[in-house]
Amino acid sequence: MELVADRITKQYKNKIAVDRMSFTLTKGVTGLLGANGAGKTTLMRLLCGILVPDSGTVSCDGMSVGTEEYRDILGYLPQDFGYYPEFSGKDFLLYMSAVKGLTKKDAMRKTKELIELVGLEDAAGKKVRTYSGGMKQRLGIAQALLNDPKILIMDEPTAGLDPQERIRFRELIANIGQERIVLLSTHIVSDLEHIADRLMIMKDGQLLWNGSRSAGGEDLEVFYISVIDEKR
Amino acid sequence: MDNDRIIKYLKEVCQTPEPENKEVFFQRLEERGLTSGRPVVINHGDFLLRQFPYIGKWIWLLSSFLLLFIIGICYGNTGNYPFALTPLLAIGILIETRRSFRWKMAELEHSARFSLRSVMLARMFLVGAVETAGLLIVILLVQPWFSYSVIRISLYMLVPYLTASLVGSVYERNNRSDNAWGSVIICILSSAFFAAAPYYLSIMYEERFTIIWMVAFILLVLSLGISVRRWICDMEGPVWSL
Repeated sequence: MELVADRITKQYKNKIAVDRMSFTLTKGVTGLLGANGAGKTTLMRLLCGILVPDSGTVSCDGMSVGTEEYRDILGYLPQDFGYYPEFSGKDFLLYMSAVKGLTKKDAMRKTKELIELVGLEDAAGKKVRTYSGGMKQRLGIAQALLNDPKILIMDEPTAGLDPQERIRFRELIANIGQERIVLLSTHIVSDLEHIADRLMIMKDGQLLWNGSRSAGGEDLEVFYISVIDEKR
Repeated sequence: MDNDRIIKYLKEVCQTPEPENKEVFFQRLEERGLTSGRPVVINHGDFLLRQFPYIGKWIWLLSSFLLLFIIGICYGNTGNYPFALTPLLAIGILIETRRSFRWKMAELEHSARFSLRSVMLARMFLVGAVETAGLLIVILLVQPWFSYSVIRISLYMLVPYLTASLVGSVYERNNRSDNAWGSVIICILSSAFFAAAPYYLSIMYEERFTIIWMVAFILLVLSLGISVRRWICDMEGPVWSL
């Protein structure tokens, strides 16, 4: 299974957010590193079909990014997401199950499983507006997994999680990444140190580095800074 | 010591519960990922029905209130201006289309199998279908109180409703702010226009001009279809500007 981005470009008025990026993602966890404004979110939106590239293509095993089939195997956690005000955590997951096309029976089963997995059992019936930042983020992670995605794209997934939750999240992603394409964006290098198989480093809309995590050496932070500095 | 106790207590209270069936979940996930093809998915008809409970309750309350109000006004008055109340029905449908953006659900919906386009179309269709059905029932109920035929009353009620829907849809397509006051004002202005029409354009309500109402009705239906199509095809901008 391969997710192929071929010379994708996205420009906004006077800024090129993603500049002719080409890469192939395979099974495993890929970490996308870059400072704020590097173009990570735009790239993720392009990979999810939320934005249409000005040029270039995105496809997975021949399925184009804009198709229902592609979205069917996609799980996405945006950097910031909302919820309808009347929703409890459980309602939110049931609603997302419907939009993802799950049958009622599957929706109930998956919702129950995922609520337990992300530790929201006690809060499942409570309104999402009463959730803390970490709880809301865990709910977001749960919705991304509802359709057993083959491609999982998460934009700053550890934002708002406490240290213990971060550790659990890494464990979860490491497990999921064994058989799936997982792309995580972050500007916190330590988030990727133990779970990423590959790394992509972005700056000003360009891909500065793309390769194995092990090539980055022991200290990923030092490696990241050296790559950024090298291209200055 | 006290501090230690407080910290221990806080840890116990704030700790995220450890999932008990985590291993079973991963095993299932792995099995399904390795062995099965695409999961069973619902069809568009099922999706449409599943959207029904997610439409804001206040939309149904507002629509029911307006339809009852139209009946009440028609009962007391047999002039032409009660027909001008129907543009207010379009407020519900126009505001409902903003829901995903207002509550920041658009990006999540856009990446799901039934994308934002399907969600918006489903909501527009459901609210529009229920309101139109309600309006047709109202037309049948109030018709005996007027000297007009059912067709003429239908045209006099549907043309203002479609006019507000069309102008509102064009406005919504080009204006993506968070609040919906623009659409509300458009519906109120449309209502005011058609309320005033019997006074300065009373001739239009004569039988010989029914054909003009018919042409207007057909043009409005076609234009509304085109406008909604354009609106749905241009989802990229609003999602980005979240």
